[in-house]
Amino acid sequence: MPNHLLSEEAQGALDRIERADIVVGIPSYNNVRTIGHVVRAAQAGLAKYFPQFSSLIVNSDGGSKDGTREAVMSVQVEDTHLMLLSTPMPPVHRLSFPYHGIPGKGSAFRMIFQMAELLRAKACVVVDSDLRSITPEWIDLLVRPVLYAGYDFVAPYYHRHKYDGTITNSIVYPLTRALYGLRVRQPIGGDFGISGRLVSRYLKRNDWETDVARYGIDIWMTTIAIAEGFRVCQSFLGAKLHDAKDPGADLSAMLHQVVGSVFSLMQEYESAWENRSGSDPVDLFGFRFDVGLDPIEVNLDRMFNAFLRGCRDLGELWTMALHPDTHEDISRLARSLERDRGTFHLSDELWARVIVDFACAYKQRPLERSHLLPSLTPLYLARVASFVLETQNLFSAQVEERIENLCLAFEGLKPYLRARWKGETAPPQARREGAALKKEKLEV
Amino acid sequence: MIRTLQDVIERAFAQLSQTTTAYLPPLLAGLIILFGAYVTAVLVRLLLTRLIKGAGIDRFLQQSGVSYMFDRSGRVRTSRLIAGSTYWVILGIGFLTAVSAFNTELTNRMVEGIVLLFPKLVTAGLILLAGAWLAQYLGRSTLVWAVNEGLPSPRKIAMAIRTVIMFVAVVVAADHLNFARSVFLAAFVILVGGAVLAASIALGLGAKGAVQRHFQDRAEHTEETPERSLWNHL
Repeated sequence: MPNHLLSEEAQGALDRIERADIVVGIPSYNNVRTIGHVVRAAQAGLAKYFPQFSSLIVNSDGGSKDGTREAVMSVQVEDTHLMLLSTPMPPVHRLSFPYHGIPGKGSAFRMIFQMAELLRAKACVVVDSDLRSITPEWIDLLVRPVLYAGYDFVAPYYHRHKYDGTITNSIVYPLTRALYGLRVRQPIGGDFGISGRLVSRYLKRNDWETDVARYGIDIWMTTIAIAEGFRVCQSFLGAKLHDAKDPGADLSAMLHQVVGSVFSLMQEYESAWENRSGSDPVDLFGFRFDVGLDPIEVNLDRMFNAFLRGCRDLGELWTMALHPDTHEDISRLARSLERDRGTFHLSDELWARVIVDFACAYKQRPLERSHLLPSLTPLYLARVASFVLETQNLFSAQVEERIENLCLAFEGLKPYLRARWKGETAPPQARREGAALKKEKLEV
Repeated sequence: MIRTLQDVIERAFAQLSQTTTAYLPPLLAGLIILFGAYVTAVLVRLLLTRLIKGAGIDRFLQQSGVSYMFDRSGRVRTSRLIAGSTYWVILGIGFLTAVSAFNTELTNRMVEGIVLLFPKLVTAGLILLAGAWLAQYLGRSTLVWAVNEGLPSPRKIAMAIRTVIMFVAVVVAADHLNFARSVFLAAFVILVGGAVLAASIALGLGAKGAVQRHFQDRAEHTEETPERSLWNHL
């Protein structure tokens, strides 16, 4: 395996360490404010729960200029007595290196995985560097299922504000669940536990230079684990509170990297999903409890305006991406929005159809992908606005029910997806079948 | 008197006969060649339409939006495009062969001119096609970007991009054909220079406040942390 991401300095450091059973990787870029807390939590978690294992914390940095790397190396874990440790804390190796290649989270993970493989790690954990709510228990919850229960991939399960994680809730979770039949609630959560076996599998792939190098990495990891039959579980980690990410990044780029990765993997793993219907729950570890969450303000008018702008100006592209019926429904929705904003409602079924149509257009390429994916943004904002309107007075449990209904709508559209995916031109029947299936499920 | 009239009529008939014997055979030959070319062109078009599936090129034209430029429904078929072009090329060759049957100085010069021009015409056509592709690609990219950025009149911005690129392609093609070179170049320089000057004056005088407000709004929007979190969290 070529280790072109590892510098000589990094290779030398690994040679000195020789071996680590657990590797905790933290990708970063200008996270000096929060990374110290993450490193402390990781080190305390390793010391408290896995003192018998050799371990390494590695920071894979994207060229921070705010002293992130220095913070990683200098942070101290004090007050060990507060963690009720009976023995002195065992040493945990700590490294910080800049990664090379396309700037992005995926490239940072690649360096971490290469280090984990070279050190023959049994388990590798990756956690975001902007987390404010991480505790030492997160490390336990992400590592233990790998080391003691034979799981290959531990996905996070958090409580998040109802308006947080909207790409997850409205696209990635419902679509991944409907495709591969596993209910992994946070497929792009960002904090994962991975077995050494799966790390090796990731490194063998040759698509690291695609959107995987950026925001596509999370869904790429989750999809490979599910579609290739690795053992997958979830761990309840409590709340996910983090800093606002990358202020320079815009939604459209993020959306199209994540969604593009999902669609691209759909093509690769067609055989894994085409005959699959319905979905199964995934093992969930950890004690579930309710937590307080940071409020999130949303500007509905801006989303509505973005949607109306899209309807007015992107018709040329949408006619090629969407089925005529779907496009007609979207146009009708825009007309109704112009009359009254308060009652706007983009139904689960229509939204699922939009995503399925885009997925099929991604495969069949009636237009350039670089035009197709960004043109989804106004539709996505319309869906988010509709979701916000519908759930503004609901509690988180009720919101989860709404997301569950959306998932069922996606699962119900599987026959429609199959028909459209194969380029068949008579999908209404498939859609009716899907609707019937959904109804049946709800009745159950 | 009668004798003179008879001479004139005889001379007219003789001239007609001479002209007829000189031009009728090549005309007939030309017509036969043209008919043959027409029949061949029709047959080849039929054959090509049936033979060429051309999925790859069809897809390319559709994806890039070039077919959309020629046909709003975006359903231009490669098979029809190639077959149609071949049809006209065969007819053109037939026409040239038919004309050359006359073997006069004028027709020979005409044929020679067209034959020499043909490669240049093909190149100019390719330049225009590449321009159309680039114009459509960049136009669509601009359109999507402008819509997502919330800029005013995205379609007009995209249309402006398309027009400029197509205009440049036309200028390059005309230059290649050595056709009205100075006119096109002058028009290009005047248009671009005029547009830049107009934009500068408009920005400097009329739109100063609007631009300031726009950037202020953007700066305020970036500072709105709660909403930014919605836009950035996956």
